[in-house]
Amino acid sequence: MSRALNAIRHLALPEIEHLLDRAQFHREAIRSGTATKSKQSKLIGLLFFEGSTRTRVGFEVAAHSLGHSCINFSQHGSAMGKGETFRDTILTLKNERLDGLVIRHSACGSADLAQEFFGGPVVNAGDGKHEHPTQALGDALTISERKRTVTGLTVAIVGDVAHSRVARSNTWLLSQLGNEVRFVGPRTLMPSHPALLPGTVYNDLESGLKGADVVMCLRLQKERMEEGLLTSLNEFRKMYQVNGETLQFAKKDAIVMHPGPMNRGIEIDDPTADGSRSVIEQQVENCIFARMAALEWVFEEGGK
Amino acid sequence: MKTILKNGRILDPSQNMDIIGSVVIEDDCIVEVGAIVDGTGAEEIYDCTGMWITPGLVDPHAHLREPGEDHKESIITGTKAAAAGGFTTICCMPNTSPRLDRPQLIDFILDRAASAEAGGIFVAPVGALTRDGYPNQISDLAALKKAGIVAASDEGDPIQDSRLMTQAMEFCRQLDIPIMAHCEDRSLTMGGVMNDGPTSSLLGLKGMPRSAEEIMVMRNCLLALHTGCSVHILRVSTWGAIEMIRQAKYLGAPVTCEVCPQYLIFTDEDVAEFDPRFKTTPPFRTQIDIDILNQALADGTVDCLASDHSPHAAYEVLVPFEEAPFGMPGLETMLGATLTHLTHKGIISPLDTVRKLSTAPAQILRLDAGSLKPGETPVAQVTVIDPDCEWTFDARHAATKAKLSPFDGMKFKGKAMLTFCGGEVYYDGHFGADRYETFD
Repeated sequence: MSRALNAIRHLALPEIEHLLDRAQFHREAIRSGTATKSKQSKLIGLLFFEGSTRTRVGFEVAAHSLGHSCINFSQHGSAMGKGETFRDTILTLKNERLDGLVIRHSACGSADLAQEFFGGPVVNAGDGKHEHPTQALGDALTISERKRTVTGLTVAIVGDVAHSRVARSNTWLLSQLGNEVRFVGPRTLMPSHPALLPGTVYNDLESGLKGADVVMCLRLQKERMEEGLLTSLNEFRKMYQVNGETLQFAKKDAIVMHPGPMNRGIEIDDPTADGSRSVIEQQVENCIFARMAALEWVFEEGGK
Repeated sequence: MKTILKNGRILDPSQNMDIIGSVVIEDDCIVEVGAIVDGTGAEEIYDCTGMWITPGLVDPHAHLREPGEDHKESIITGTKAAAAGGFTTICCMPNTSPRLDRPQLIDFILDRAASAEAGGIFVAPVGALTRDGYPNQISDLAALKKAGIVAASDEGDPIQDSRLMTQAMEFCRQLDIPIMAHCEDRSLTMGGVMNDGPTSSLLGLKGMPRSAEEIMVMRNCLLALHTGCSVHILRVSTWGAIEMIRQAKYLGAPVTCEVCPQYLIFTDEDVAEFDPRFKTTPPFRTQIDIDILNQALADGTVDCLASDHSPHAAYEVLVPFEEAPFGMPGLETMLGATLTHLTHKGIISPLDTVRKLSTAPAQILRLDAGSLKPGETPVAQVTVIDPDCEWTFDARHAATKAKLSPFDGMKFKGKAMLTFCGGEVYYDGHFGADRYETFD
């Protein structure tokens, strides 16, 4: 079986540390202008069954920086929209002699399935509500850049944890690195049975943020309201919005994160999103380095 | 033509019989059962030493997919799979395309099942409780009964409206048709793909809470109690549902229920990592549920076993988990799974095993099956089982069209060796030439 990066959950601590080391290496090399390209240029298929800007562009930039080429596939304008099965789509790409696949799909576990059919290197760019590993690696890189460490911290993940792949990947990664992970939000947006997830649920924002070094906001999908998982946006805002006032519950030097896209004025207010404690822009940049490390990893380059 | 099955362990719950003896079949019918029988003039002798001779197995709950979905299964392949599993009578569910809501479709099913290419066993059709495309209209049940349905069911499209279900029960009570009830509150399972529990939270999959099943089990039990209609609860999966049924029976409600072996073997943890072969509704639950279901089988709260044979084409199953259909094949693994996981573990006795696999479902649905007593059934239905045969299930070589099964590669102890229906052998699971004698 070829290598894949489909879930942080399946990585051991040394593997996580290796990926972060490599991402950091790329960050330094690119920032100092000493980056060198991969000896062997690869052809990577970016297979996005679900819309995305930052993730897709992030992977393209990462691949380009490593000297690889990308081909984009999306559901629109391809056979996937013509009723072709998932398996046939992946088998076709395999026979088009692509060297690797980056896949985004709305179904949990689809990256594993893609790897089974593709039989070559695969990176999960988000599978439903399951995982989004390169986002978590980029987030850890961002935390370590600002906090000078990414261990022994308290991280509060605020909002719609139940439906968030970003939350799941971050939870596994940050807990493996020795941080305390908290899930903060209303019961309807918390995992219904969190026993197997290494995080603790707080339904109250104040106690959830108390002593937090990192406050990670999640995007609140509008459809959660239609599903009756919220009373009203206004009430959610009042109870769980991260803003200048509620950020006071956290440590004085706590940083604020958001994987994007943001709903300004709902889960986070404007001044906080753009404020000095926000690292939201750095997250985007660091995710590129994480994606470089991920591509290297599945192509078995960069050591280990 | 006179055939003797000799020296087997005869297990016939309809007569409470557990003896070493022989069964004599003459001209399609069982004529004698006992420790000593009259063997004069026998043309065929099967030596069943070390094996069980039981009434032909009865499956109250299988999906044969015809009409309309014969890429998944057909009446031909489904009945062959049933014969290979030791069954001589199976009930076929009405959620086909179109649904079995009119007499012509029942005629079609019975004709196909009786055709020479079919598996040689009996198919007892279950009619659709509501009309195809009209979920608020009850089917013409009197006409369906005349055409030969043995029960009516909302399988696959569970009736949510309690008033509609009450009226359906009133009609069925008047016509003396049992209702086979699919108990699922769809408002609670919408979008759900597996049991709501730690594994669903881990995988990010939407859960189907146990309350969705239990609410409808309770409702249907109450409606059975108040209307007097016989209600058979399909594939119970939670301990809470068992408690509801136990209470309903205590109150005198005309309620029976079934469980399927797969729900006694697999839990929601088996779904990880996203294996669509394990996707069912109701979903696989937890070890606590398995323990209570086992107890309920032993104490009689659970009346019978069922396969819930739900075949799909491989290309439909090999998709991301959330997009995969619910259900798995079961006819060819049911006996092996039951003997391995229930009988050999001492949870139910051999006689009780045969009761749950044959006599009880036949009694619940008033089928001409489930007994070895001469004259009890119009034609002989007999299964010879080797309870100690160790074998490994290979889904690729199954008779069903559905080649993906969670049981694939599983080791079983116990297998059907001969399936007799009307004096003919429709399945031979390597019974052995040395055990067979013929005198022309």
